[in-house]
Amino acid sequence: MIRSFEKRAEQKISGFQSPAADYLEGRLDIAEKLVVDPHATFYFKMEGEAMRSFGIDDGDILVVDRSLQALHGAMVIAFISGSFSCRMYVQIGGEMALRNDAGDVLERDIAEVSIWGVVTAICRGMLPAGLKQGRYRDVCAL
Amino acid sequence: MFALCDCNNFYASAERLFRPELNGLPIVVLSNNDGCVIARSEEAKACGIKMGDPEFLVRDLIKKFNIQVFSSNYVLYGDMSERVMHSLSRWFPRLDVYSIDEAFGWLGGVSDLAAYVPEIRRSVVRNSGIPVSIGVAPSKTLAKLANKLAKKNNGVMVLDNDEKITAAVQDFPVHDLWGVGRQYYKKFEELKIETVGQLRELPEMWFKQHMTIMGQRMWNELWGRPAIPIDGLRESTKGVTVSRSFRNYIEQPDILAEAVTLYASRLAEKLRAQGLRCLYLQVFLYTNQNREDHPQHFPAHTHKLLIASNNTSDLVKIAVTVSGKLFKYGMKYRKAGIIATGLVPESELQLNIFSPHDGGKKDRVSEVLDKLNLAYGRGTLRMATEGYEKKWRLKHEFLSKGYTTRWSDIIKVK
Repeated sequence: MIRSFEKRAEQKISGFQSPAADYLEGRLDIAEKLVVDPHATFYFKMEGEAMRSFGIDDGDILVVDRSLQALHGAMVIAFISGSFSCRMYVQIGGEMALRNDAGDVLERDIAEVSIWGVVTAICRGMLPAGLKQGRYRDVCAL
Repeated sequence: MFALCDCNNFYASAERLFRPELNGLPIVVLSNNDGCVIARSEEAKACGIKMGDPEFLVRDLIKKFNIQVFSSNYVLYGDMSERVMHSLSRWFPRLDVYSIDEAFGWLGGVSDLAAYVPEIRRSVVRNSGIPVSIGVAPSKTLAKLANKLAKKNNGVMVLDNDEKITAAVQDFPVHDLWGVGRQYYKKFEELKIETVGQLRELPEMWFKQHMTIMGQRMWNELWGRPAIPIDGLRESTKGVTVSRSFRNYIEQPDILAEAVTLYASRLAEKLRAQGLRCLYLQVFLYTNQNREDHPQHFPAHTHKLLIASNNTSDLVKIAVTVSGKLFKYGMKYRKAGIIATGLVPESELQLNIFSPHDGGKKDRVSEVLDKLNLAYGRGTLRMATEGYEKKWRLKHEFLSKGYTTRWSDIIKVK
């Protein structure tokens, strides 16, 4: 991952001062739309097809925020019986359950479960194999 | 009012956040080079593991109680500490980070502390995932005391009036009081003073006479009159040090030069990050003093620079030359260190008219070095004398991953 050295506004100019210099706003950065609170944000990686029908594919990077309280319909990272899993948090009747493509499991039926954080967004690369080369190999890939 | 916020068993808690299956199990974290125990979970304390115990001495206990062992993962702890401190800073108009896992906060004008403080705690614990305790009192010394009591009181203790303070200090053991070292503790013992309640009843004159200005401050602080301001204890930087143990003993000068190159490079980076140059560079070597069967050698030499410097090539050159001269064949060196003293701000460079100065050029090289290493990761560009194999590198057999700092280490979910 390459971080840029200087912000655009700080670049030195050898000839004429740009007439746009007073109007610089800073270029758009996708991180602003993905991460609300960097100090409460963690990243996980999806492995497998268990959440296919919810739009999460194998290899997707999950952006996870710990500051949110999970509620019905939230995609969550849950620690279920010894391992981290991605599930949808749903309310069935008066009870909370964890849902994936295999079905629903009520929270009370799981021996050990805790909600670790809420998935706020997913990142997925869209390049076909032929273009996943050089610098582009790392687009949304680990 | 002052608040002391402290992470509970910080290193162990940071490891557990990413391994929740270890909740309720004993955990210890070892020092650099996997030497001694430097952090313990509550369960490990109950198993009889003491702070500073050498790993090889407690191996039996570790086996017996199935204690989980971790090498210190400072990359992880550093990032988690930053998260905790940022979460805290949102609640306090002033925050004084006291150590990697503690911070003093200043709270003014909050009317309902009993409701506010637990809210701070809940928010920090939820956002960072690290359990914290918060003690609140009118002075830093009492806040520290309240923090200790908070650990047994759901993580929060607010001492906001005289009755609560009096009740809190009544039975508080004097050796747990902030600022009481062994020397003072002895004095208290002679006077049969065991609790802070008793100590506080001594006249102000006694504190002045026996404990100088520090004692007078302590007396005022114990009566709820703040004498140590926020930010008031930060010591000015007198020296910058990089010292580490080796994985195995070093017995060859070329291997030593590799290690010293790395330490000097790191030192130069540290100086530049703080905008300082050094006038003196001390290099020291240690053999293992615990091994009576080894010949012992603890040489040190301080080199005076003609011109204060902080560029990598100057400092590495000096450190390697000095360490080469200190080195003696037949010795098994266990540790080396470099200390930079005589620190001057970068802006105050004094030139010597009798010596050629090409520092400007080397400084620019160092600047580029810093930028490249910031962008591509530490150690991307380095001095060749650092070597490639690095057999002397620290031992960390039980190192956890860089869950929050390395893309390749993020946790996989199903």
